[in-house]
This record gives sequence, C-alpha cells and structure tokens, in this order.
Amino acid sequence: MIEFRNVNKTYNTGTEAVHNANFKIEKGEFAFLVGSSGSGKSTLIKMILKEEEPTSGNIIINGKDTTFIKSRRIPYLRRSMGVVFQDFRLLPDKTVYENVAFAMYIVRATPKHIRRQVPMVLSLVGLSGKAKMYPHELSGGEQQRVALARALVNNPSMLIADEPTGNLDPDTAWEIMNLLNSINLRGTTVVVATHAKDIVDKMKKRVIQIDKGIIVRDDKKGGYDSEL
Amino acid sequence: MNYNILSYLIGEGFKNVLKNKKSTFAALIIMFATMITVGIGLAGAQNITSVIKQLENDVPVIVFVKDGLSTSELDQIEDYIKSIEYVNNVSFTSKADALKNAKEKLADNADLLEKYSENNHPFKASYSITLTDINKSKEVIDVINASETIKESIEEIQTSDTVINGLNKADKGVKIAFFSIGALLIVVSTVIIGNTIKLTVHARRREISIMKYVGATNNFIRAPFVVEGIVIGIVATAVSILSLGGLYTLIYSKFNSVLLSNFKFELLQFSDIFQIAIIVYAILGIGIGVFGSVLSMKKYLKV
Repeated sequence: MIEFRNVNKTYNTGTEAVHNANFKIEKGEFAFLVGSSGSGKSTLIKMILKEEEPTSGNIIINGKDTTFIKSRRIPYLRRSMGVVFQDFRLLPDKTVYENVAFAMYIVRATPKHIRRQVPMVLSLVGLSGKAKMYPHELSGGEQQRVALARALVNNPSMLIADEPTGNLDPDTAWEIMNLLNSINLRGTTVVVATHAKDIVDKMKKRVIQIDKGIIVRDDKKGGYDSEL
Repeated sequence: MNYNILSYLIGEGFKNVLKNKKSTFAALIIMFATMITVGIGLAGAQNITSVIKQLENDVPVIVFVKDGLSTSELDQIEDYIKSIEYVNNVSFTSKADALKNAKEKLADNADLLEKYSENNHPFKASYSITLTDINKSKEVIDVINASETIKESIEEIQTSDTVINGLNKADKGVKIAFFSIGALLIVVSTVIIGNTIKLTVHARRREISIMKYVGATNNFIRAPFVVEGIVIGIVATAVSILSLGGLYTLIYSKFNSVLLSNFKFELLQFSDIFQIAIIVYAILGIGIGVFGSVLSMKKYLKV
C-alpha cells in the first residue's frame, strides 16, 4: 500500500531530513509513525502526500511508483488518501455538513451521492446531531471528528493522520484514537504520526520510529520507545 | 461538467467579488480608465481616418496646362497621367470651362470677369487627378515632372498635400499616443486585477490548502477566482461602453452638423466605431480578468 525504497530527502537549505528510509505498510494495516519534533516524521508524511519530493529513492503507493508522477495527476493520487491534521483545518464559515460535503464537491460527486454519503459518514464519527453547527460551536474533539468525516467521505483506501491528538486532552485523544482504530477495522489503512507515548504504548500497533532522519525501529507490535 | 458544480464555482466567484469591495472597486476603476482611454483614442483615430478618406474623394492633384496645346498634345498628357501608378481618375477641364467655373464661383461678382472673352482669359485648362492612395501625391507629381515633353506643356501643379500630410501625421500621432497609453494601462489593469484576486486568494489560502489535500485539481481551485476576474472584466466593459456611448453621442450631436456645414465632412456614428470595439473590449475585459487571476494564483497552487 505504502512503500518507501531507499528514500532520501535533503531540503534546499541543506538539511537532511530523511536518510535511506525503507518500510512497507500493507493494506489494512495500522501503523504509528513516532519521533521527536524535527526527526523527519513530518517530511515522511509530506512525501506520502506528494507535498514534498524525495531527493532520491522511490515511494510506491497502491502499487504505483509516485516518484515521477506528473503534477497534474497528484490530485487524483490524493483522492485515494484521507488526511487529518493537528489543527483540524476546517472551514470556519461552513457548517459541519458543508465542511464534509465540500470534500465531495471537489471530487465532483453528484448531489444525490452527497446527500446520501455525508449523513452516513457523520454518523460513523458520532456527529449525526451536529450537522448544522459551525466549527466554533464544537469542542476540539468534535472538530477533529468533522475533519475525520471529511477525510473519509470519499472512501479513501488509506487515512493519514498527522498528530491528530496534538491539540486534544487525553480523554478526547483516546476517543479519536479509538475512532481511528474502528476505521482501520473497516478495512482502511491508517498511518498516524504522533507524539502521544501512552496511546502508542497501549494500542500495541506497528510502530515505525524515526530519529534524526533515520528509521531506527520498526516493531510489529511495539510501544513508543521500547528500545530506548 | 455537472450543473451543480458549475453553479457552485460561479457562485463562489461572485461571493469573492463582493467580499473584497475596496480592491474590486480599484480594479474596476483602473479597467474603466483603460477602456475609456483606448476608446477615446479609437474614436479619434477612426474619425481622422474617415476624414482623410472623405478628403481623398476631393481632388488632391490638379495639373494646369499651358495655353494653345493641340488636341493630340492634350490627349498625350492625359494618357501619360492615366498610366501613372496610384492615379485613380483623371478629368479634364477645358480653358472655356475654367472661365465658366470661375464665373460660377464668383457668382454675384461675375461681372468682374466680363472683360475676358472665351479665348482670352488667364484661367488655364487643367486635369484633376484623384489618387488610389492619398499619400502618394508626391510620387505621382515626380513622375509627371520626369517626362521632359510633358513638363514643357505644364503651367503648374497644385496639391492639397499639406492638409493631408498634416492629417496623416495627426492620425499616426493619435494612434501611437493612445495605444501606447492603452497598452500600458492594460498591463497595469492586469496587475491590479491580479492583486485584487491575490487578496481573496490569500484570505482563502486555508481553504485552498484543504482543497489540495482533498484532491481538488488546480483548475477546480482556480475556477472561482477566474470567475471573479471575469465578473470584474465584464462589469468594467459594460460600464465603459455605456459611458463611451453617452460621451460620443453627446459630442456627435454637438459637433457633427457644424463640421458638416463648415468643412463638408461627417463624424462616424458610434455604432460604426464601436461595433468591433465592443467585442474587443469584452475579450480584453475577460482576458485581463482571466490572466490576472491565473497569474496571481500561481504561488498558491504549489502545494
């Protein structure tokens, strides 16, 4: 599903963000990407999203080498992945329903499909009753659920979450993690970049740890830093 | 494309226009100024060209011949003039007719010419020459003078050269001045529209980045902003054409009859000048709008 082969990334400033990264995340897997800030975690995510190009090496997504993909094709690649961020990134002047429907407008879904799909995905994240509310009327956890609904509404085969619980209190963080887990159980591949040590420790999922740009650990059922 | 998506994109575009009232207004003003300037230049240049055309129908070159030439000598001159390039039409006025014409011109004072008989008067027979190209009178005169035998029979050559040269220069000057100002203003309007749209784009960069992550194509993201540019362009075009129409009609009604009675030439109708201009303006307005918005968005689409 997501495969990195000898991937290196050096920014124009000369900073080497990723050095010779090799890993493969299979379809339906749940993987944590852990590491301190500046470790190269975000660069890995950005390269999966095609926001950054690797300096060398290959990134294979859904069986396709995306290294030389034309920029024109990037939007279509991104439609195969849902993304959520630490800061939710919702549109403040749109309701919950509109925020989610927006993602469907963009991929040119039919109005009929939108009317059917949006309530379904809102109920999946537990926000059925809040469709008409605006982001500022919601708690942080609820806002992240809206972001999740938006990421999932087009049925992507994988979900990329960059620090999804970074702005949330521990209880809410757990709710979001459990939601991510249940999304994974429905067959979606989930990759979560995180700092949340206790969550990683307790969930016993695959952990890929990156430090100073090097993948230092890849445990099938690891904790946040069992080796260190 | 799905109808609902089209209406969504257009709706977003109109919303953008209304969101940045100040900069939209600035963009409108500059485009209006551009179009008015180009329009005034166009009207001026077109009218001067039309006046030149009307003058071309008057006789630009008159060749007066010496007295006492035989019919065959006169025919030779006429044939020679007719053979010259750029000569359109040659008409002969006999010495007798020259006197008649002079009397007609003097009308009430014709008795001043009483002392002259038909064969004894100072007026000369002449050839009136019209040209296919008004600017070539000098060339034609040079050719006439080039033949020694013809030159001997000629008393004098008159041309309305100075008037036409003056008009031609004015025509060129007006065209160059207004169109270079116009070109400059087109560039300025493109930049200003671009800036206006940049403001909306900047205000909505968050939305744009979300769109990019969800997999929107660049064209989809660009569309509302292009619509914004087009709306500004169309409004500016409409307002400019209406103002130019009003202004021109006013000038026409004030001056046309005066010019017609005093100088025997007419101004062009508004519709004659601006038929093509309306299309050009619409293309210009929309073009500036599209180009400005595409240009200003470039940076924001690189995610």
